[in-house]
Amino acid sequence: MSGDAIDVSGLSKHFGAFRAVDDVSFHVESGEIFGYLGANGAGKSTTIRMLCGLLAPTAGDATVAGHSVARDPLGVRRAIGYMSQKFSLYIDLTVEDNLAFFGGAYGLSGRRLRSRMDEVLTLVDLRDARGTTTADLPGGIRQRVALANALLHAPQIVFLDEPTAGVDPASRRAFWRLIRRLAHDGTTVFVTTHYMDEAEYCARIGLMVAGRLVALDTPSALKSLWVPGTMLAVHGTGLSSAAAALAGVSAVRAVEPFGAGLHVRVDPALADGREVTRLLAAAGAREVSVVVTEASLEDVFLAAVATPEGPAAAPAQVSP
Amino acid sequence: MTALRLFVMRVYAMAFKEALHVRRDVQTMIMALVMPLILLLLFGFGVSFDLDHLAVAVADEDHTPASRLVTDAIANSSDLRVVDGLESARDAERAFHRGDAVAALIIPRGFAAALARGQAADVQLLVAGSDGLTATQVLAKAETVVAASAARFAPAGVRVSAPVTVASYIRYNPEGRSALMIVPGLVAYILAMIAVLLTALAVAREWERGSMEQLFCTPVGRLEIVIGKLLPYLVLGGLAVLLVLAAGAWVFDVPFRGNLWTLGLASVLFLIGMLGQGLVISVITRNQMVATQAGLLSSMLPSMLLSGFLFPIDNLPPPLRLVSNLVPARHFIAALRGVLLRGNGFAELTTELLALAAFAGAMLTIAALRFRRRLD
Repeated sequence: MSGDAIDVSGLSKHFGAFRAVDDVSFHVESGEIFGYLGANGAGKSTTIRMLCGLLAPTAGDATVAGHSVARDPLGVRRAIGYMSQKFSLYIDLTVEDNLAFFGGAYGLSGRRLRSRMDEVLTLVDLRDARGTTTADLPGGIRQRVALANALLHAPQIVFLDEPTAGVDPASRRAFWRLIRRLAHDGTTVFVTTHYMDEAEYCARIGLMVAGRLVALDTPSALKSLWVPGTMLAVHGTGLSSAAAALAGVSAVRAVEPFGAGLHVRVDPALADGREVTRLLAAAGAREVSVVVTEASLEDVFLAAVATPEGPAAAPAQVSP
Repeated sequence: MTALRLFVMRVYAMAFKEALHVRRDVQTMIMALVMPLILLLLFGFGVSFDLDHLAVAVADEDHTPASRLVTDAIANSSDLRVVDGLESARDAERAFHRGDAVAALIIPRGFAAALARGQAADVQLLVAGSDGLTATQVLAKAETVVAASAARFAPAGVRVSAPVTVASYIRYNPEGRSALMIVPGLVAYILAMIAVLLTALAVAREWERGSMEQLFCTPVGRLEIVIGKLLPYLVLGGLAVLLVLAAGAWVFDVPFRGNLWTLGLASVLFLIGMLGQGLVISVITRNQMVATQAGLLSSMLPSMLLSGFLFPIDNLPPPLRLVSNLVPARHFIAALRGVLLRGNGFAELTTELLALAAFAGAMLTIAALRFRRRLD
């Protein structure tokens, strides 16, 4: 199947008066890693559950692997793998028993089941953990078991709902290596996260704010759209009190604290940083150094949360 | 791959997984196999309608060998005992009134003389009616003992020309042992409770642990989940039936006079019905705490009050008698008593088996229909 793996149009989910997901439309291409970003409660999990056929949409529809989630949720389930936010395999069963059960649920048996179990356990590098009860495994390894489980029936699309929440950085990195490998082998990956560094790995990103999809594009396109200009990383002493000096300058688009220093976003006229250095020094900052840096997705996220109506509406913002 | 093969495979996967849970869960095993035995022994020994050593005040105003024979008969009976030291009907009445005796037997002056003349010899039996059950039993027992004592008049040299005979005989349970009445009722009561709890917890647990979400993401159908969940507990319940019946036979001497297959079928249908009821509760409540409460109430109360276990169905007010038809324990108890005591088989218990099958079918249908394959 070529073209779109997922096609969402006007998808909404209301819980009473609360609009968890509000008129969301987008599409995901086959073999793509699609990141879904948003704060907790922004509607990420609700969207994913609708796309997996677990929740019926209030309005709109989505086609997942050619099946409508509203009319043919069973067809959707056969074609997808799902890994929920909370570890939801059986903690009193071993890795192998869990995989055997879910394999059976997907209609795998006998030699086919055993060879698929071997393949997915090799992929996540957990062949030695077969006989371990999942309750005895640390979080990072459990997530890999859950991923292996989601891949058991070789689905075209996998949905991963915050797969790395609460997992240590090394395990997170290893997990993302797996995700990239899956996409490379042709599986479409739909992943939600609130780690901005992880979002950089995605081919495209959708940004959810309060139930609405406010932005959708490649990470670099999002950055140039939402945080235009040049990002300057400023270091020195006395910066926080001197930052106010930049407020009145029209070519300065945004000033935000970043680590021990400042992130100052400027128009091309100030891109070399000399004027910024001069202004800060005049306001009392010492040992000021300025380097050009790249905007992060965190900057995009903050801009989007501040002005969900869109980047055009974004005023120049200055905060000390 | 055919749809049927897929169905069987998924049910098998589900049942096997559930069996693994049970194997690793000591609590469930204890609940299914040890608790029924403990309950049976506790109730079996604790709940008894047999009253013995009922105190009977005897006032012998006759003071003849014949009247002493009657008094001795009561004193030697295991069910009754004589309250000593009474001289007259007045004393007896007083003991009776104080509660020292539940009944008073008065042998009037001229008792032996009347017997010798060939006239009807009356004795008076006063029974305390304040406790209905005791009153009935003491009445029956005193009557039997007194009537039996008459048979000993002649060998003891008392001349009798009008012997008293009481023609009564209790079929199936000649000794009137209440264990024979209680054990089948207990078996149904205990199994109803255990079976409902087993499945009520099994589905609610999946909701609470979040594994239901993962399960719903697979193509497993609701009927497959329902049947797969049921099978391992049916096996466990079957074991419990065997254990409890064996204990009933061994400890309480409950006979087995009827058809084994009839009892087997009745047990399986009853278990499916009760396990199905547990599933329905579990599907609706989604919460182990609530499911436990609802499971206990909905199984214990009807199985105890509306099943014929403690109160005969015929004694229920008409509306409740109608409701009792919907209580599977009623039909199961009828089947148990039929097979164990009356020696019944399929022919005599068709109605009960059909009723049990109807309940089981209804519960499974409701469980499957109410089982939402979605999270909302």
